[in-house]
Amino acid sequence: MYREKDMEPKSSPDLARHPPDVTYHDSTSRVTRHASRPRIAVYWTGSCGGCDVSFLEVGEAVVEILSHVEIAFWPALVDVKRSDLEALPPGYIDFSLINGVIRTEENYEMAKLLRAKSRYIVAYGACAHLGGVPSLANNWGKEEIFAVVFGPGFRPGSPVGEDNEAQLPDLIRVAVPLEEVVRVDYAVPGCPPPAPLIDRFFGALLSGEMPEPPYVFANVKALCEECPRERHDDRRIERIHRPHEIVPDPKECLLEQGLICLGPVTCGGCDALCPDAGMPCTGCLGPTPEAGDPGAAMLSALASLVRFEDEGEQYFAKEDEALEALADPLGTFYMYSFGKYRRVR
Amino acid sequence: MIEGDGFEPKIVAFLCRWCSYAGADLAGTSRLKYPPNIVPIRVPCSGGVDPAWVLRAFERGADGVLIGGCHPGDCHYISGNYKARRRTVLLKKLLPQVGIEPERLRLEWISATEGQRFARVVTEFVEELKALGPIEASGDALRVTRDGESPAPRGG
Repeated sequence: MYREKDMEPKSSPDLARHPPDVTYHDSTSRVTRHASRPRIAVYWTGSCGGCDVSFLEVGEAVVEILSHVEIAFWPALVDVKRSDLEALPPGYIDFSLINGVIRTEENYEMAKLLRAKSRYIVAYGACAHLGGVPSLANNWGKEEIFAVVFGPGFRPGSPVGEDNEAQLPDLIRVAVPLEEVVRVDYAVPGCPPPAPLIDRFFGALLSGEMPEPPYVFANVKALCEECPRERHDDRRIERIHRPHEIVPDPKECLLEQGLICLGPVTCGGCDALCPDAGMPCTGCLGPTPEAGDPGAAMLSALASLVRFEDEGEQYFAKEDEALEALADPLGTFYMYSFGKYRRVR
Repeated sequence: MIEGDGFEPKIVAFLCRWCSYAGADLAGTSRLKYPPNIVPIRVPCSGGVDPAWVLRAFERGADGVLIGGCHPGDCHYISGNYKARRRTVLLKKLLPQVGIEPERLRLEWISATEGQRFARVVTEFVEELKALGPIEASGDALRVTRDGESPAPRGG
């Protein structure tokens, strides 16, 4: 699923196929060490910071996890600078967990730098994995984004400060998921990744039984498979609701109650946290391999579900009215995946 | 950007093999004239046209997409055309959100005997797309400020 052609930096060591549990010889630093205490880096690019916090989701287990890894670079947790990272030999870090979308020139440079210093790159969270919410901005040009957010006159990439002593990094043309700029080995999806998947990832990492990359730490089967809500055979929707408009029945399938739930097209693995709590799935774990393009798949599914007791010309007007209630198709179908699946031209 | 006379729109047409594709065939064998801007793709049923194909066609350079299906009640698979219709309704809601005019997607019922109708639909569609011009690249198009208003800053 990841584009292999992409941009492996030439200087990186040829270690990518080594299983992480073996004692290996680091070709650059000339030290032999055991990887049972893997070196990790955690870095945020275009991110809200929620992914960094999400490690606490696993509760006390986080102490156990952190005691078994060596933190090589994690700006949110330890005092490290970019120059420290630059000083590391290529391939020094075992796993770099990058969260956030690639939005600015700085994000791009840091992704390249981390790729060069790491044996494996992990896209952590929906933004790094699929583009996430920030990639919905790809609908607009960067001038337009700056004009709306900062007001007229603000130029991206322009110098700031009294003596123009600093220069802000410019935006790249579109916000893209990590795999567009570096080769990505693993993904831990979610917005932010839910506890079961964080557990699964660190469980594999610390036991030294990481699957062969590329690999996404989520279920191949759809979320519906693990959802406790009851589904029926003859499914149809006569009316679409938004989550705040109704109090859904606690036992029945949300989709059948008219709430747009992306469960049918989204990977499982989160134990159906949201549907269980009465909120429809918004698709943060990304599409199942079967669904492919999540928005198109969900649009299709919805078009099949919205119908009345029979089909035919006499129902066209009623169907149109029912479909008209869908307020924001783009935000509903591509909330986390716009950057990966849709290209503006 | 090419406008007006010089602009020849590209149309991708998904035609159901039972009705619309046969209709297109008839237009051909009847020596009917219609503009050559269309790339027909034969599909088993209009209900099998994945919305992803439509979106991808636009993203990769199509200026218009035509979906041709059987008339209501005539679908070889009973209700495929109804499903295609509901998908089209949703796609027409989605397209403006990504900067594509909904008129660029067209669903038409064309039966196997309607060669004339096929030729007319294509001719009309090409005219319409010529009037619309190419899809505007979003890039730095500054849609917000196009009418001279400077947008108000938002948030804190």
